Amino acid sequence: MSDLALSSRKPAASLNGYRIVQSISVFVIALVVISPLFMLFIASLKDDRFQILADMGSFRAFWVDNPTFNNFREVGNFAGELAFGRYLGNSLFILGSTVSLGLVINSMAGFILAWGSLPGRALILSVIIALYVIPQESIIMPLLIIVSRAGLSDTFTAQILPFVASPLYTFLFYQFFAQLPKELYEAASIDGASIFRTWWSIFMPLSLPALATVSILMGIETWNQYLWPILITQTDYARPISVAIATFFGQDSIYWDRAMAASVMMMIPILVFYLAFQRWFISSFVGSAVKG
Amino acid sequence: MASVSIDNVAKFYGNHQVIHGIDIDIADGEFVTLVGPSGCGKSTLLRMIAGLEEISDGDIRIGDRLVNDVPPKERDIAMVFQNYALYPHMTVAQNMGFALKLKGESRSAIDARVREAAAILALEPYLDRLPKQLSGGQRQRVAMGRAIVRSPQVFLFDEPLSNLDAKLRVQMRAEIKDLHQRLGTTTVYVTHDQIEAMTMADRIVVMKGGVVEQVGRPLELYDRPNNLFVATFIGSPAMNLLKGKTGNGGFVTEDGALLPLPATAKAGAVTYGIRPEHLMLDETGFRAEVVVIEPTGAETQVLAKCGRQTLVAVLRERVDLKPGDRIGLKPDLAAIHLFGEDGRRL
Repeated sequence: MSDLALSSRKPAASLNGYRIVQSISVFVIALVVISPLFMLFIASLKDDRFQILADMGSFRAFWVDNPTFNNFREVGNFAGELAFGRYLGNSLFILGSTVSLGLVINSMAGFILAWGSLPGRALILSVIIALYVIPQESIIMPLLIIVSRAGLSDTFTAQILPFVASPLYTFLFYQFFAQLPKELYEAASIDGASIFRTWWSIFMPLSLPALATVSILMGIETWNQYLWPILITQTDYARPISVAIATFFGQDSIYWDRAMAASVMMMIPILVFYLAFQRWFISSFVGSAVKG
Repeated sequence: MASVSIDNVAKFYGNHQVIHGIDIDIADGEFVTLVGPSGCGKSTLLRMIAGLEEISDGDIRIGDRLVNDVPPKERDIAMVFQNYALYPHMTVAQNMGFALKLKGESRSAIDARVREAAAILALEPYLDRLPKQLSGGQRQRVAMGRAIVRSPQVFLFDEPLSNLDAKLRVQMRAEIKDLHQRLGTTTVYVTHDQIEAMTMADRIVVMKGGVVEQVGRPLELYDRPNNLFVATFIGSPAMNLLKGKTGNGGFVTEDGALLPLPATAKAGAVTYGIRPEHLMLDETGFRAEVVVIEPTGAETQVLAKCGRQTLVAVLRERVDLKPGDRIGLKPDLAAIHLFGEDGRRL
């Protein structure tokens, strides 16, 4: 009996050890990920830009003696070409348009690839996967020429249109749709639904996890765009916040305090965006569609 | 309602032929079951009737209309799938009314039709629930309700009870049969379960390897199977088949046992078939050794060996036997099935 009890304790002990190692690993990874963000937030509350520089590289970077929101007020009263809020508005408009159009276009493409009777479907899928490995920077010059010749320089359209269709997101949708039961598509076609109606009324409502995933990835990618807006915008009219922040990094001096506050302000909308969609990352109620 | 006519229908996947020129005529209002082992082509044939698979050759007519190239939604059929295929984000009422909504019917008309179908299937308390809030049997009923509201010309069922437990399967079997009797809609029902086929169908189509082995009423197939495949596929426990040849005024098994034959029996048989319930305990019968006894209350199944060949007898009475006992088994001469070299009935 005691042997039995002893042998049954052994795995429990190793399980506890495993859990401790697991917890420490998670804590360390979380620390590495969160500490720069925490440092950024602390720095944005410091009034002296030279102090921010002096504190970097020590634990002082994670502490503020006299927190103040002055930097945020100064950024709010930003006296550039346009008000800071306008750049934020530009970014939100570009984000909203790119993500909503992107969800429609990429999900439609993914749906047709998964369920449509498309000739050469395997070839198209291979091309899409191949396109995904091409970095955006390598095609940025030809893209710039195309967009300029189309007369779209310095417009919102130039910052939205080229990024709406994406091989990665089309492939993500394709994979998601292909996993849904074939019978749902067949039942809809027997019920009299057109392929458009099947996509819109049956498959899209079941795709919240895929929609949330693509929204978050696409949203972050769009929000953080820097190189393309710099190249395609000549005036401040359609410039996003990421470009506006660069103004704080002047030729002669860098306004670390305001740059930090502006970065925190830039982060907030995308953080809210993420929190709004992340709960669908893991949730899915497709399981009830079919038994087994 | 309409008849369904399947005329020399074939199906190829590339060069591989899975359906070999099938002819079946299904009368208006008839309940026909397609039955056969996995891979026999029964579901493919059903999907061709539904328009979910293209027809490689031949014609399918629903009523008088050739539907070879007609899309599923225009065939005026309704299909119930094995895994229900309910739309998970829609309530029971929305699931049932979806097809009518697509047809552009008014909300009040849809509501009336859905309530009517729900009343038939006792689904009224569940109309506002999502599929995930229902049990397996209720989901299956919703799938049938979705078919009923459309008042189609033909119902197609693709192994609809396979995902249910044994008790629920028996209950749903009766419900589907009752539904057919009340609505009288032409029904094509696919199953691999011969009990389902026997209990529900007006006619059964037995398939194997993409070929129709036999078409007939359930008891016709049971009493006069055309060949060895149908003989063993229909009936549970399966028909006993003993190898041997005719001679010495009877049928001599490979082990030398002499089995009686009716006077009208044709010569040339190599397989002697007898259903388990047509064997009786009788000391004047051929000798066999009891291997296993399985009393079920209403009857007793006796697994016995006659030489090297095993056979099953289903006895209506309770018997006091044990493994190793030597018994005499006498076949009912009127119920003997003889098959020739080619496996066909003589």
